[in-house]
Amino acid sequence: MKHPLLIITAALLWSTMATAQGVRYELRVDGLACPFCAYGIEKKFKKTKGVEAVDIDLERGLVVVSAGEGVQLTREQVERIVKDAGFTLRSMTEKTLP
Amino acid sequence: MNYLRPAGQGTMMNALGIKKAGAAGVVVLIYSAAVQAHDPVFGLGPHTLFKNATEVHLGFDPSRAGRNQQTRSTLEFAYGLTANWTARVELPYESREKGPDGTGDVGIATKYRFWRRDALGVQESSTAFLRVKPDTASAGRGTGSTDSILGLAYGYESRKWYRWAAARYRFNGETGEGLERGDKLLLDLVGGIRFKQTAYLEPDWVWMLELNGEITGRSKLKGVRVEDSGGREWFVSPGLMWTLRNFAIKTGVQLPLASDLNGNQEATDYRARLEFEWHR
Repeated sequence: MKHPLLIITAALLWSTMATAQGVRYELRVDGLACPFCAYGIEKKFKKTKGVEAVDIDLERGLVVVSAGEGVQLTREQVERIVKDAGFTLRSMTEKTLP
Repeated sequence: MNYLRPAGQGTMMNALGIKKAGAAGVVVLIYSAAVQAHDPVFGLGPHTLFKNATEVHLGFDPSRAGRNQQTRSTLEFAYGLTANWTARVELPYESREKGPDGTGDVGIATKYRFWRRDALGVQESSTAFLRVKPDTASAGRGTGSTDSILGLAYGYESRKWYRWAAARYRFNGETGEGLERGDKLLLDLVGGIRFKQTAYLEPDWVWMLELNGEITGRSKLKGVRVEDSGGREWFVSPGLMWTLRNFAIKTGVQLPLASDLNGNQEATDYRARLEFEWHR
């Protein structure tokens, strides 16, 4: 009887740890030609509640947004942020950090 | 009838006792200081600010035309109303070899990006531009009239190559003394290159070469054409844009390529520009 309980406890503990590590959003953004202009994306995301870090790869058109525990960014929200920064969102992938 | 004595003959006064601005004065005063990083140094570009961005800009523009040497310093504030619409206020200060230093005419400008195409590492866009310059300068400064500029700009930015094209038309008002300076058409063609594509948080260098043309109409004084006014000047202008994250330095020099000025006027010897920008 102890084993199932042990397994369930371990599973719950694991899922809690997974959520506690946060979420990473990988965004493909078009229009990122220069760093001076790309600053707008960094600024806009860093002002968003729950966002902890923003990394920008100009060559790949990739913006990686790291968010904290329990933070959920919707596609509409991300599209608006990218649009207000002056660029176009091509795709968005969400990855839960282990 | 020629109301103005030719340049080089002492103090230039017209029949009404009004000092002639001189070719240099007119040329410097038409400076549209509303340039932004990732736009050309002298020409108009299509760049706008991101939404709710604020930008502070400090520029220095020394120039010489014959015996007329002057430096114009401009402090500007810009705001991104939307990602496609920017508003700007310009506060110039003029310093001349001859004559008192003082504040120039305040400028109010707006730029609206009406077309944009984004691709991987590429942004192409077009904007419309409007600038109004009322007569607000201290005595002996400014143009003495309310002038406005309308413009259209196109730009292509990629990780390596840049190209811009722009046209502006300046409508000059009439001063209280009845002087109406000729309207001016400004044309710009620019190419730029980023030799090394650096990462986002590294310094970025873009080298540019501009071809700038200015076609000026004749001035009129109380309805009578001024002979020593108007003409064409063409410049070739190398420039550099250096940026680091949200800070930019731009610099360049306009070197005369060809000029065809009416009557007896002093052509431009050079114009230079040094600008600092910071946005947040």
